[in-house]
Amino acid sequence: MSAVDRSIRPPAGPPRPLVLPDFASPGETGPLDVRFARRHGIPEVSLRLVLEAGAGSEPAAHRGLASLAGRLLTEGTADRDAVAMARWLDRLGIGFDASVGYAVTIISMHALTDVLEEAVEFLGTVVLEPTFPEREVERVRGERLDEIDRQMDDPATVAGHAIIDALYGDGLYGRPTGGVRDTVSGITPESLRVFHERRYRPGRSVLMAAGDVEASRLADAVGGVFERWEGVAERPAPPVTPEAPRPRVILIDRPDSPQAEIRVGTIGVPYGTDDHYQIVLANAVLGGIFNSRINMNLREDKGWTYGARSGFRFRRGAGPFVAQTAVETAVTADAFGEILDEIARMQEELVPDEELELAKHALTLSLPLQFETSAHVTRRVSRQHIYDLPEDYWRGYRDRIEAVTAEEIRAVVRRRLPRERLTLLAVTDADSTESALGRFGEVERRSVEDARG
Amino acid sequence: MDTAGSVRLSLEEHTLGNGLRIILQEDHSAPLVTAHVMYHVGSKNERKGRTGFAHLFEHLLFQGSENVPREGHFKFIQDAGGTLNGTTWFDRTNYFETLPSNDLDLALWLESDRMGFFKPGITSEKLENQREVVKNERRQSYENRPYGLAFETVLDEAYAEGHPYRHPTIGYMEDIDAARLEDVHDFFDRHYGPNNATLVLVGDFEPSDALERIDRWFGEIPARPVPDRPEVPSPLGRGERRKVMQDRVQVPRVYLMFHSPSFNDPGFEATDVLTFLLSDGNSSRLRNALVYERQVAADVSAFTWPTESVGMCFVVATARPGVGSIELEREIREVLDRLVADGVEGAELEGGLNRARRALVEQLNAFGDRADAIAHAAVLRGDPDYVNSAFDIYAGLEAGDIEGIAREVLQPDRLTSVHVVPEGGDA
Repeated sequence: MSAVDRSIRPPAGPPRPLVLPDFASPGETGPLDVRFARRHGIPEVSLRLVLEAGAGSEPAAHRGLASLAGRLLTEGTADRDAVAMARWLDRLGIGFDASVGYAVTIISMHALTDVLEEAVEFLGTVVLEPTFPEREVERVRGERLDEIDRQMDDPATVAGHAIIDALYGDGLYGRPTGGVRDTVSGITPESLRVFHERRYRPGRSVLMAAGDVEASRLADAVGGVFERWEGVAERPAPPVTPEAPRPRVILIDRPDSPQAEIRVGTIGVPYGTDDHYQIVLANAVLGGIFNSRINMNLREDKGWTYGARSGFRFRRGAGPFVAQTAVETAVTADAFGEILDEIARMQEELVPDEELELAKHALTLSLPLQFETSAHVTRRVSRQHIYDLPEDYWRGYRDRIEAVTAEEIRAVVRRRLPRERLTLLAVTDADSTESALGRFGEVERRSVEDARG
Repeated sequence: MDTAGSVRLSLEEHTLGNGLRIILQEDHSAPLVTAHVMYHVGSKNERKGRTGFAHLFEHLLFQGSENVPREGHFKFIQDAGGTLNGTTWFDRTNYFETLPSNDLDLALWLESDRMGFFKPGITSEKLENQREVVKNERRQSYENRPYGLAFETVLDEAYAEGHPYRHPTIGYMEDIDAARLEDVHDFFDRHYGPNNATLVLVGDFEPSDALERIDRWFGEIPARPVPDRPEVPSPLGRGERRKVMQDRVQVPRVYLMFHSPSFNDPGFEATDVLTFLLSDGNSSRLRNALVYERQVAADVSAFTWPTESVGMCFVVATARPGVGSIELEREIREVLDRLVADGVEGAELEGGLNRARRALVEQLNAFGDRADAIAHAAVLRGDPDYVNSAFDIYAGLEAGDIEGIAREVLQPDRLTSVHVVPEGGDA
């Protein structure tokens, strides 16, 4: 037995080639486009139905309509009331979730392979036959309104909602997909039925499936259930990008808070810009991975926080960039200063080679992990459909990230995160932090109740 | 692996000369490997005045060792395209990474340097830094979060002074402040020997080759005296415990905790299924009654923690506006009493078992989760094969088993009730 050399990182063996799953039609499935990848091993199947029924397709006066429709799919059909639907689903033991984003509604199911046919039958029933019964609509709408109120108890949620409001106002991305009190209050069973009628259509939808089943078995199950479904829900135009925000300083008073929830935000970019991969890599260096600059600075150097991170939300329109952390109240202003300094440093200096390599590897060598399970696979690949990403988005990902240079990173941070477009926002004890925040500009102070909007 | 919707994993077990327990689970379905080291030490091993220490110590094990530089774990694993983390709980502390399988040696180097060569790397500067990080973790995840202090209040009420499960894993602020460098050395010597640890590998490797590598990296680390396991007295006999606490919230939330079978006791699986019947899915007893019919709760969940020595079965419910916490608790207990009185229906049990089976399969899906389940079974039950046999145990449960456990556990003299109410309000 040979001794090991502990003084250096042990060399890696030859890499195994990255095998990304191939999604293909499982056979004749009728009006619904189905894409399937066989995964051997665990006896489960992951289904992900992507519908053109996101918050972006609901009327602005009824923000939260798509989300409420998603919650009500399982609450009754002509033949089964809410309790009967729940009994059916729970007896099969299937995992079911309807999640509504700005672009699409995604119905995801996880089932053991022995109940695949029943799972697809359930899916067909909730997609094709929901009736949005008055009593259930009233209950679920009431639950959503309570939830909106309760969210104001959580300073992290208050900060998250307030920063998008500051950047986008009444625009689509300025409100949570679940809507706000005023817009949810007016939602009726009729408005839900109309929305469902218009937006739950097979044209433009896709069902992503992965798991350990025969393709023909999946095709038979889906084809039978969805054969009479018809029509198209066209994609709405992406929201217009608002004017670049002013550099504001917003302080939301939460007296005696032990910490400050802080956000530094601006309007970012949609998917598919020419500098997409430069942005992804620049953000990894700034705040996208554990070893990023703002986390190393605020956590590992200063000890001010449990963690700090940043991210661009790529969407069909220009989603936000937000850097976020929670720090001891006493260092609120200093923490903003450090985050702004880290952004400025990336605009002035080139990222050193070793740091750049680390960020590239973290993004590219992790691809096998990002495609590990059936659920991972359907999630990643459905993004290509939702955002019209090139067919080789994942296959070409590594080469495109590897090609980015330090100069391009410096240029992209200058272009996308100029200081004069950054909005600073904190939720914390205002009396003890307001004067120190003055160094960043005029402080707009408000209460949590004001921030409710 | 597939036998009608369940999973059968083949596990290979070894023990190194120094007592390190090894469990290998070969699976070439992805070019990845998970290395998971679980130490049989947690917050229940902490001494008075040092609550939170096991968790603070876990943070320090990411700060480098004799050969690994500070932040080296994060840097090297991310550079390899992997993920990593560590967690601390009542009964155990774990460290794990999943990374491309051609970098198995990297994981073994990092984990063996932690286990064998930690002390030369630790400094008071690192301790001070991570003390501040952990204090901010406590602020962010508990103190500055609605209802964030409820669970530690339940523990404080449920267990007698000095009981190992009485304090929360995050620890109390003054105790986090009290930790000293000599505590760090002492804790390492006492609890971090190879013979108090289990290494689980899951993924893309050849077992004989992997075992040889493991022996090269870990074999030379000397065994230490096995630590005493803390005495864990029965929590029963204290009678019903109640507390009302105020928080900065708009509606009350009720926390009910019943002393129940631990992960090691017969009856654990029946308790687990009982919680599925109570709150998993919209047809479950509590969701159906409280959220659908009576509309007194915004949400309700029942769950049991797979703890080693004493068990805890929770019911947690948030009130709709205008509903008081006393009314909410009464509604919950009516549902529990009805289940005890009337028993379980056949279709209800069938669904509960199907959901439990899916949950078992799900936790064996990703390599990282699977390694955690195997290590948890090995360390807390002494039986890694429980990840397989659990399918048979759950499948064999009958209505009488669930009814029996409900009668035994859902009793007022096993109950700790904590009501969190809005500031300035009462229950």
